[in-house]
Amino acid sequence: MKNYEILEHKADLKIRIFGATKEELFKNALLGMTESMKPETKKPEEETKRQIKIESTDSAALLVDFLSEVLYLSQTNREAYSKVQFKKFSDNQIEGELFGQKVERFGEDIKAVTHHNLDIHQKKDKTWEATILFDV
Amino acid sequence: MISKKDFIKINDWLWEIPKSFRSDMRVPSRFYVSEEMLEDVFRDKSLGQLVNVATLPGIINYSLAMPDMHEGYGFPIGGVAAMDMKSGVISPGGVGYDINCGMKLLKSEFTETEIRPYLEKLGTEIQKEVPSGLGQGRQVKVDISSINKILEEGAQRLVEQGYGEKEDLENCESQGRLGRADATAVSDHAKNRGRDQVGTLGSGNHFLEIQKVDEIFDENIAKAFGLFKDQIVIMIHTGSRGLGHQIATDYIGLMMRTMGKYGINLPDRELAAVPINSSEGQKYFSAMSCGANYAWANRQMITHFIRKAWKSVLGEKSSPLVALYDVAHNIAKIEKHLVNGKETEVCVHRKGATRAFPPEHPEIPLKYRKVGQPVLIPGSMGTASYILVGQKEGEQAFYSTCHGAGRTMSRHEATRRMSGEEVVKSLELKGIIVKCWSARGIAEEAPQAYKDIHKVVEVVHNAGLSRKVAKLKPLVVIKGE
Repeated sequence: MKNYEILEHKADLKIRIFGATKEELFKNALLGMTESMKPETKKPEEETKRQIKIESTDSAALLVDFLSEVLYLSQTNREAYSKVQFKKFSDNQIEGELFGQKVERFGEDIKAVTHHNLDIHQKKDKTWEATILFDV
Repeated sequence: MISKKDFIKINDWLWEIPKSFRSDMRVPSRFYVSEEMLEDVFRDKSLGQLVNVATLPGIINYSLAMPDMHEGYGFPIGGVAAMDMKSGVISPGGVGYDINCGMKLLKSEFTETEIRPYLEKLGTEIQKEVPSGLGQGRQVKVDISSINKILEEGAQRLVEQGYGEKEDLENCESQGRLGRADATAVSDHAKNRGRDQVGTLGSGNHFLEIQKVDEIFDENIAKAFGLFKDQIVIMIHTGSRGLGHQIATDYIGLMMRTMGKYGINLPDRELAAVPINSSEGQKYFSAMSCGANYAWANRQMITHFIRKAWKSVLGEKSSPLVALYDVAHNIAKIEKHLVNGKETEVCVHRKGATRAFPPEHPEIPLKYRKVGQPVLIPGSMGTASYILVGQKEGEQAFYSTCHGAGRTMSRHEATRRMSGEEVVKSLELKGIIVKCWSARGIAEEAPQAYKDIHKVVEVVHNAGLSRKVAKLKPLVVIKGE
């Protein structure tokens, strides 16, 4: 199964994300956003870790809030996170640790994660799918 | 689905979707396009979004859209909505993520012939002085207490510190400072994103251009604006960068969580809104004012760096660069307008729309009071930009006009159809110098990806929203990324 795919959109970046579980969906959403930012990592590589804790109203808002927090940490620390380990994962709360690398620069400037036509649902085969639009 | 049969033609430039179109509409929707451009508006969901805006509590007269309208988040881009101060709501989706994205124009005393030999060098120096902010940002990270001052005092703070002239503030919407700004309403996240971005251009459609005045449509007003044919001017297009986006993200989240308690139910999450006079509404207005102030400070700082480059290239020969005007196209303002014949305070949302006050309006600088407010309209890269002037007939749209060309092609489609090198070459053939760190950035902003700016301006001119004063042609284009 693919982790994510980039969809066609007029002005912005639209990504469809897949996951065998909801937790995996969130992990792949992180990967999709980080790879889309086209990070140029520092050489020699410098590993980095950050704690995150998010609380929201529902799964959809939780996904946007989670990615918004990652975006904030990426931009202010100049770091790209490709992995997350969750210590807590519920419908409206997550807690965990991000793993990534220091970057020289980002090739794409993602400015915000939006709720525009946001979709997150479990499919008939029990796997998860989400569509998110990023303001670039 | 909306189709042409749902429209009422008001005149050649104005169309209406009546209130009866959807049961949740509180007012009709109106949009300004020519018959020729009508097909374009069906291409995306902007009309549906305009109808959604008509459902917002407290909306006055109409939800409006300008001819450069296209699909946005919540509101369409090009959308205008005035809200009653007592019963109305305020919506971050009606301002946009890039709070106070806007335009500033600097005038020189030189003609094209005098500056042509220096163009290449000016382009290089300006690009060096004004970073995009995506790589290393500005080398200086401003501390939080300085950011707080910028958030509350805007461009005024920078002029006090020597980064500009008093005249820069006179020639700026709201003198570069919204009084209701309160830095405590802005999150640390937003402030941190803003710390190394004062004086940076950003990416996407943001740009700097050295232009010449190519055509003058109204000699008298051009004279009042200090414009003459073949004059060299510099245009700045940018906004509040990461800080503004973070304020929008924070408050859309907050409003989604709280609007239920005010009994507000909306067709789209990105329209999230709360009553203007609620504590959340007041707090958003204070935070949005901070974002707007940051953007005016950003354009002021960029002006400072452009002047530095200008002086270093032209040396003894250099003459001052004077600001014609600085105007926002993503903002919510408290303004007085005639509602049912009575002067009333309303909250006007302009998202991808420019304020265009008429002659004699008390909120425009004294020196323009007789002729009306200058309006700055950028075209797509390498085409043309316009200077317009506000006029009395603009009352019908709460004195608002268009803001640019408006995209028609996706960024991906643009990069698929042409390479950055091709675009640069075709611009060079037209005698335009392009400075950009990223070839992809150039391809994405290719002029073919946008509506025709001339047609957009023709509509606002004919509809009476603002009148043509001058057309500007680019000579050097400097892009962020």
